[in-house]
Amino acid sequence: MAELQQRLQALSEEYQKAEQELQQHIQSRQRLEAQLQENKQVKKEFSGLDDDANIYKLVGPVLLKQDRKESMLAVDGRLEFIDKEIKRFEKQIKEAQEKSDKLKMEIIQVQSQAQPEQGAQA
Amino acid sequence: MSSPKGQTIDLASLSTQQLSQVKKQLDDELEHLTNSFTQLRAAQAKFRECLRSISTGVTPKAGDKPILVPLTTSLYVPGTLADKENVIVDVGTGFYVEKSTKDATKFYEGKISELGANLKDLETIVQGKSNNLRVVEDVLRQKVLASSAAPTKA
Repeated sequence: MAELQQRLQALSEEYQKAEQELQQHIQSRQRLEAQLQENKQVKKEFSGLDDDANIYKLVGPVLLKQDRKESMLAVDGRLEFIDKEIKRFEKQIKEAQEKSDKLKMEIIQVQSQAQPEQGAQA
Repeated sequence: MSSPKGQTIDLASLSTQQLSQVKKQLDDELEHLTNSFTQLRAAQAKFRECLRSISTGVTPKAGDKPILVPLTTSLYVPGTLADKENVIVDVGTGFYVEKSTKDATKFYEGKISELGANLKDLETIVQGKSNNLRVVEDVLRQKVLASSAAPTKA
């Protein structure tokens, strides 16, 4: 009985850790989504600009003038990077989800083993 | 968010425990959505403020009237606008674009209406969720009442 308890304890600790990891990944994914949306907005804004429009970039506290083409390239580069990051995190989220599901099943199994009398009563 | 769609479960068939879990989930979702709603509102107000600043501050009508420029919250220096036709607009991710006041106004109006559409969408979602929540709460209450009225039956 004590053995089972111990195993249950270890499992639930592991499960909690897995859930925390999952939450962290989900948060990162949300942050990326926000960045993606913002960059998309900027891209849209840039594509509607004239060729001779003045574009500045915030570097530290000062605004530096930027070339339109270069700025567009920079935004495209960012979008590409964010897309890749999102794919990476999606994979991690899936893995973390599977891990926590597996642990959950194990916990349920051990729990039903730990309380066979109660199960018989009900 | 991740719950599968198109799957209907009779609420009455769920246990009180399951029902309270559903209720908790709905509560969380609703809180999250309401927070987003407030944030959108705040963003919209900020854009409105920008619009107002352009229309009252940066117009040829303002003439050469001196303005007071805040250096800190309590220290101001007098100055005049060097350029009354153009403003520099933050378009996001650290990029700023010089725009004529007309284009800037258009830009901010676009942002405001975009946010307005988002707010409307969000409102319908919030309403749907609160309806769901109400139904779940009703069923839960009935369950609790029924089980406390007839405890021996269980």
